[in-house]
Amino acid sequence: MTDKKITGGVTPSGSDEPGTFSRRQFVTGLGGVGFGAILGGMLVKSIILPDQVFAIPASGGYLLVDTKKCAGCSSCMLACSLTHHGETNLSLSRIQITQDSFGKFPDDITISQCRQCPYPSCVAACPTGAMHADAKTGVRTVDEAKCIGCERCVNACPFTPSRALWNFEEKHAEKCDLCLGAKYWDEVGGPDGKRACEEVCSMHAIKFTKELPNQSATGYETDLRTGTAWNDYGFNGAVKANGR
Amino acid sequence: MSSKLWFDSIIWVVWLAPFAGILAAGVTRRTNPRIEGDRVLRHDGAAMVEHWTHGIATAVLLVSGIAMGVLFFPALVRGGAPVWAAMNIHFVAVVVFLFGTFYYGANTVLSLRRLREHLPTGDAIEYTKRHYGLLLGFKKFTMPPERKYFESEKMAFIMAAAATITIIVTGFMKLAAHSLNVPASVMSIVTPAHDVATLLMVAFILPHIFFAAILPSSWPIFRSMFTGHVSLDYAKHEHAGWLAELETAQRQDAAEETKPTPAPKRAA
Repeated sequence: MTDKKITGGVTPSGSDEPGTFSRRQFVTGLGGVGFGAILGGMLVKSIILPDQVFAIPASGGYLLVDTKKCAGCSSCMLACSLTHHGETNLSLSRIQITQDSFGKFPDDITISQCRQCPYPSCVAACPTGAMHADAKTGVRTVDEAKCIGCERCVNACPFTPSRALWNFEEKHAEKCDLCLGAKYWDEVGGPDGKRACEEVCSMHAIKFTKELPNQSATGYETDLRTGTAWNDYGFNGAVKANGR
Repeated sequence: MSSKLWFDSIIWVVWLAPFAGILAAGVTRRTNPRIEGDRVLRHDGAAMVEHWTHGIATAVLLVSGIAMGVLFFPALVRGGAPVWAAMNIHFVAVVVFLFGTFYYGANTVLSLRRLREHLPTGDAIEYTKRHYGLLLGFKKFTMPPERKYFESEKMAFIMAAAATITIIVTGFMKLAAHSLNVPASVMSIVTPAHDVATLLMVAFILPHIFFAAILPSSWPIFRSMFTGHVSLDYAKHEHAGWLAELETAQRQDAAEETKPTPAPKRAA
């Protein structure tokens, strides 16, 4: 490309005068400096600086569930969707009860609650910070306005079913927030308040603790029966018959 | 399919692209339109680069963006690998789009005449009425002496420029949210603004493609976006005002070149 006339070439003061520069020189300089600054910054960040470490605080509390007490009534699921979305919809519940019709006690019912992982894979996977640990309470929760719908959190959850869920109505991720953001509930939620699923469970199969339970790859086992009236109900025969 | 999101892992490339465009403009030497025998140079190489980087990237951005979901359309890809693929395609197109747009912007700063020829004039409504009235077959209208760009194109340019600026500003804010803690209240404005500007871009690009590439009378101009030239006859018929400007400019240049240079003064 030839330039018969150097377009936009000369400032009123003239490019040949010492101490002045032309519009072209300014544009070239701006582009070069910016290009170099970003490339240089990347080189420094990736080679010279040490890897960044992000500390995520522990959650303010954890749901404990005992599947042996669960009756599979799904009241917890209905309460969850009602308090968070103002409608009873099992697909919008952040706690999921699954029942195996062909299974035998105690393997017939599974309660899939968010474990508020000490290392939350969902938070680490989120590219925008929508999935985050709440600064005050440590609760792992979603800032819906920041969610871009990539569903990496759903994919990242180490448990099946994923504890991070896709809200198909509002098109963003959601998860158990210990009722911190239960806007359709008159009670105060969160670790220092109440949890709708725990309040509504007639079998008292869901409890809350601020102590971090012992975790394993498959979660944690909880016994909410020993030392309660459950012992007087005489279910031990059923337990022994299944060798447990 | 890896869950690697390029908007996450190589986000710095997006910040690099505008500066690459500005730098490229700084080192580009432009050739002004001129009459060359029986043809007219309409677009130099830089103009073609500006147009195709911006244009193709816009098309890919629109397809990948709409696939992921715009305000008024359902997301066409479901979660997981298809979303990540669409986002990575969007990333590549963002880099090309930013390069092309900033290349154009910097070239325009270097030659504001090029911006002026894109802006509508006082003849905008009158010329558009005559031009399209004639195109639709109303014999009472005559072809106006359109300049390099038709007045209707110049009016569409305003909408395209506004949409582009909105998309870029809101896009940069969405990008910043990957690294900084941008308040959710800001994001709740930024994302819809990005989506509405997208729809404006669709409203621009579809007629643009029709009028510039599909309409047979536009095929010479479409070819010029690859070759750089249009025929003199085409310019006489469709862009008479522009041709007159070029002839005047070339006459002035010729007069400047034939002016005798003053003799050097001898020392006393």
